Amino acid sequence: MFGKGLIKGLEITWGWLFRKKVTVEYPDKKIVMSPRYHGRFELDQDKCIACGLCANACPNKVIQLEKTKLGKKQILLKYVMRIEYCLFCGYCVEACNKDALKFSSVIDMNQYFRDKVRLTLVDRPAPTPEEIAAAEAEEAAKAAAAQAAAAKAKAKGEEG
Amino acid sequence: MKTQTYTLNLGPQHPSTHGVFQIVLELDGETVVKATPVPGYLHRGIEKLAEARTYAQVIPYTDRMDYMAGMLMNWGYVAAVEKLMGIEVPERAEYIRVIVGELSRIASHLIATGAYAGDIGGLTGFIYTFRDREDILDMLEMISGSRMTFSYFRIGGVAEDFPAEFFPAVKKFIEKFPSCCDEYDGLITGNEIFQVRTKKVGVITPEAAINYSLSGPVLRGSGINYDMRKARPYSVYDRFDFEVPLGCNGDCFDRYRIRILEMRQSLRIVEQALEQLPEGPIMAKVPKVLKPPAGDAYAEIESSKGLFGAYVVSDGSPKPYRVHFRRPSFINLGYLGKLCEGWKIADVIAILGSIDIVLGEVDC
Ligand code: SF4
Ligand code: SF4
Repeated sequence: MFGKGLIKGLEITWGWLFRKKVTVEYPDKKIVMSPRYHGRFELDQDKCIACGLCANACPNKVIQLEKTKLGKKQILLKYVMRIEYCLFCGYCVEACNKDALKFSSVIDMNQYFRDKVRLTLVDRPAPTPEEIAAAEAEEAAKAAAAQAAAAKAKAKGEEG
Repeated sequence: MKTQTYTLNLGPQHPSTHGVFQIVLELDGETVVKATPVPGYLHRGIEKLAEARTYAQVIPYTDRMDYMAGMLMNWGYVAAVEKLMGIEVPERAEYIRVIVGELSRIASHLIATGAYAGDIGGLTGFIYTFRDREDILDMLEMISGSRMTFSYFRIGGVAEDFPAEFFPAVKKFIEKFPSCCDEYDGLITGNEIFQVRTKKVGVITPEAAINYSLSGPVLRGSGINYDMRKARPYSVYDRFDFEVPLGCNGDCFDRYRIRILEMRQSLRIVEQALEQLPEGPIMAKVPKVLKPPAGDAYAEIESSKGLFGAYVVSDGSPKPYRVHFRRPSFINLGYLGKLCEGWKIADVIAILGSIDIVLGEVDC
């Protein structure tokens, strides 16, 4: 009979009318993203050693970092991601073996203006000469202490 | 009365062309006299970009070709590099690839099916297939962190193992999906208006299909039994029991119908692969910096649209010297001009939809 298929289709759509909704009202209700979700980036400043592995892994040169020496340590001055070029491939996060760079589950990164898209994760002033001196002094003191301790241990060893 | 043909630009800004694709139609009344496809609006130069990236860094770009089935695009490329370097992929990784690949194929066919219903004028079907595609995207998001551009494959394996929450989700999906296919059949396939619009429309003869190098559901719709997974099994496809659905008339309806049948078969493959999933590593031992020996390699896989091939030439440096992709949508499109001749404008939409192109792949 012609029209049987049409009626079958109507049966299906009408059947769904009385079932539970499968959509959510977006801005009021949000779906939880899975733990691995590639959302906005997060950087743990204290863990980052400014090695630049993440920037090297990136196919699109998204990550720009500036670093400086503080004593013997490298510290980050600036960590800017040009998100407009980002592919969200996750290579940078994979490359970071200090677990400093991570994805969060933040999905709304859209902006009205292009220059606002840029994601600045770290932006701090360069250390002042005093700070550098302090760090160097601290390191020197530490080294001296270590040396003294080693000498002491050696002396002890010779005694015993 | 003197009449003359006139020219109509269909696209590039037209929802029925499935992206930025243009067909210049020469019309006699409503009948197409000549159809000239104009691809190229979405050309991003991925092949050229690849030359300035390391071998691993090319993978995210392959996602952007057929973004309906990103996993399969990844696969074609990594298979070529692995062939070039002679890397043996661990078994578990192969199974994971098959599972995510087949899920991707289902997701892609769901779009093809739903969008086709929309093209013919039944937008309701579109919503039903999208509902179920979301489930697949959710699962792939659990695995790879992205919903469409996964970048999940690595040269020598895959990026991460399945998370624990994936298994119950996929089990639930396997249970419910056959009834969803029944729903599409009831809602779209069985609909008389849909059948009248698609049956005996845009017939591709088997000879033409072969001569024009068509592949995928477009080829099998004409009754030619050629599926890479069966004809030349790659990866671990020889270990699964599945059928290759074939059409008999080579018309739009057959091409559409085959996709639903293929989804059911893909589900069978996923089910079997999950059962057989072995333990073990998911990455082969590969050096940090990949420097394949000078030479070239070509690898092919069966993507959702047809044969997807990647040709990689190495000069021994960490960056590929040349990469070329054989994109099935682009090659299937080669026959479109001839196929549309003599049909009405509305049929052009039906024919184009049945070929199932994705412009990211056509233009690359
Ligand atoms: S996600 Fe990919 S493209 Fe984006 S910054 Fe990281 S490596 Fe670069
Ligand atoms: S985020 Fe990680 S990889 Fe990048 S510079 Fe910091 S420590 Fe290195």
